[in-house]
Amino acid sequence: MKKGLLVILVVALTACAGQPSVSLYDEIGGSETLDKVFGLAVNRIYNDPKLGPHFNGVPKSHLRKMLTEQTCALIGGPCTYTGKSMRESHQERNVTEAEFYAVVEHVQQAMRLIGLTYQQENRILAALAPLKKDIIYQQTTTI
Amino acid sequence: MNFKQIMGLFVLTTSTQVVATGSSLVASGGITSFEGTAGGGITPWAVIAGYGSAEEINGTAALQQLDLGEYQLRTFGAAIGIYDRVELSVQRQNLKVESGVVGNVFNLLTAGAIQTAPGTDIEQDIVGLKVRLFGDAIFAQGTWMPQVSAGVQYKKNRDFATSLPLSDGAIPLPDTGVPKLLGATKDSGTDIYLSASKLWLGGAMGNNLLLNLTARMTKANTFGLLGFESANDDGYNLEWEGSLAVLPSSSTAIGIEWRTQSDRLGGLAEEKTVMDVFIAYFPDKHWSLTAAYVDLGRLPFDEKASGLYLSATVNL
Repeated sequence: MKKGLLVILVVALTACAGQPSVSLYDEIGGSETLDKVFGLAVNRIYNDPKLGPHFNGVPKSHLRKMLTEQTCALIGGPCTYTGKSMRESHQERNVTEAEFYAVVEHVQQAMRLIGLTYQQENRILAALAPLKKDIIYQQTTTI
Repeated sequence: MNFKQIMGLFVLTTSTQVVATGSSLVASGGITSFEGTAGGGITPWAVIAGYGSAEEINGTAALQQLDLGEYQLRTFGAAIGIYDRVELSVQRQNLKVESGVVGNVFNLLTAGAIQTAPGTDIEQDIVGLKVRLFGDAIFAQGTWMPQVSAGVQYKKNRDFATSLPLSDGAIPLPDTGVPKLLGATKDSGTDIYLSASKLWLGGAMGNNLLLNLTARMTKANTFGLLGFESANDDGYNLEWEGSLAVLPSSSTAIGIEWRTQSDRLGGLAEEKTVMDVFIAYFPDKHWSLTAAYVDLGRLPFDEKASGLYLSATVNL
């Protein structure tokens, strides 16, 4: 009887422990899914009359690749972000908080359209959220 | 809910279809508390009313109703959020007291000589100011640092000294309204509070988790509806208020709240901790609807003052 309980306990514990070991990155389908999400999000951002002008001269494919790479690295994927730091890439662009929120909404919409769950969406946003402070109002920091 | 309020809400709801709200994310402005301040249902949060970003000025209009049987609390008001930094709000509260309660009060005070009296209304106006001091409740993830705001609520009870007439028009106690009758000594007071709010994105098995804590210095009896201060207690008391909510979808929040009260008047006006469970629905950034079960603890001649609370906020 005692032994039986112990076996059940061990099985239960390993089952529990087994779940979190799948990273968020693997759970959502890896870079393939992220690439789809940011392909859609970047399209939406470039078509947004308030946001599009910010990306004049930035090829869509480059932004898509950088966002995919960066997010992959932030959610436990096997990527190294090769782009500029957020502070550097937003230098002198004077991104407002309203524009930042608009980008977040486009990314949220893209995640939903690609079929990520609400819970996966929140966990990805949690990884990206701290970037906000290095994105908005970066025009004065280097002087 | 009277006709004027319903029409007001209708006009606001239809007019917002053509007016853009602010840029912030849906539900990030919270709902509107019954004191007119952005927050939960019964307590302020550190968020600024409306969906305005640091560059925008937006606002809310809201109404609330709490049905407690012998008492009905109807409240409405508006708030403006400036640059996600400053919040100004105005609120009118109306507590309708049924004749049974007023009759009981007279019965007790006159040792049975007067047993019936018409119902009455206790009205209160609240002007609020809130300033976000620091922090970002939503985007500062990976840190415990909450968003913190400080606020004041100036409250003026309009019926502190409104005489209560009997059914035949006689006025046994001139210039004495319900708050004064129960022992309150002031008709106005200023609450000062500090609120800390923190949202954990994906914090509850992938669902967003919100925690808010508010510390309030107040001289109010039952939120000021029963006046301020008493003969032997005219100082500030520290009260604690909190909200805990989970957002199981992007448009829904479910949670609990509590709010302590000092029992300054005692006797008939004894106060207890207020609690509620709520579900809020944010279909889009234009409006939200909240239903709650509120337990006010106790009101005069109502040992179990609890009932359904409904609250609607329109974002402008």
